[in-house]
Amino acid sequence: MTSLPSVPQRDSLADVLERVLDKGVVIAGDIRINLLDIELLTIKIRLLVASVDTARRMGIDWWEHDPTLSVGQRDLAAENRALRTRIAELESAHQQEDDGG
Amino acid sequence: MADTVVYLYALVRPGVVPDLSPLRGVSGTAVRLVRDDRLACLVSDVDEDEFGETALRTNLEDLRWLERAAREHDAVVAAAAREMCTAPLRFATVCRDDASVRARLHVLGPQAAAVLDRIDGCDEWGVKLYADPSSPVPVPAGGSVVDEHGATGSGTAYLMQRRRELADRAFAVEQDARAADDVFAVLAESAVAARRHRLQDPQLSGDQRPMLLNGAFLVRRGDADSFRALVHAVAYGRRSIAAVLTGPWAPYSFASTEQDP
Repeated sequence: MTSLPSVPQRDSLADVLERVLDKGVVIAGDIRINLLDIELLTIKIRLLVASVDTARRMGIDWWEHDPTLSVGQRDLAAENRALRTRIAELESAHQQEDDGG
Repeated sequence: MADTVVYLYALVRPGVVPDLSPLRGVSGTAVRLVRDDRLACLVSDVDEDEFGETALRTNLEDLRWLERAAREHDAVVAAAAREMCTAPLRFATVCRDDASVRARLHVLGPQAAAVLDRIDGCDEWGVKLYADPSSPVPVPAGGSVVDEHGATGSGTAYLMQRRRELADRAFAVEQDARAADDVFAVLAESAVAARRHRLQDPQLSGDQRPMLLNGAFLVRRGDADSFRALVHAVAYGRRSIAAVLTGPWAPYSFASTEQDP
């Protein structure tokens, strides 16, 4: 039998939290943190999942590599700056030519 | 000194209970037993300033506090589960005093006995499957940017190529999902019980690979080796899928008094 990769000594926080917060026998104690509060917390944690980052990690990232789709605001701004610089250079070169001619 | 309240970890049978004195619970507190006729509970006396209603509300929002306390809770539950049949209680179950704990044990008795019978002699194992990002998306034959007319890099060729890539990726995702279903089914068959949990948040787990399956399996202690071998056989053998086995855990996922969630 091939041995499995050794299980890490320390359980991951995600593994511990999903068991300790979400599973197990539920008894309503006297201190009413209300399970709802814990649920809200785990919902908050879970909400992070539904992000663009996750989509990207899931491999749903084609828009990033598609030049016709990936020109976002920042790229536009950068492109704009580059073009302005280029125009300035050309104008200045043209100016010198004029002056020289 | 601040008042104390009673923190509850897990339900056990009230018979012979091993020495609890080496155990340290949340915030380093000693662990002791509260008994009723049919049921007992592992508890600690904790500071109300930390586990009272107001404090808990704040502390639960603090991920560092939560991590420490959750691990301490799990440490007690896990230690108990190694020694005796143990039904973990949900984190942050807090009562005013022992009388209040006993009243709850009394009400819970029959239900809890059924839970303890169900999980007796078993451990929980976690099996997580991830898509292996290093495995390439299958490329169809002739999948270069050359269309039927031999025009390289034309708009049509580009769009066709793009469409093929998307279809291939969709196919790969579907294949991965089917593989996860298969692995779960095979493992569930050899377990006493099985659950599929929500896929984990990469920000918490620190694992950036796309998760395909987050399974929990209740396995008889004597069958642990063959279960591990089975995980190896069905999950590790698959191209493009990485498996992570965790455990043994106390049977958290199978200790619910309700039936299926």
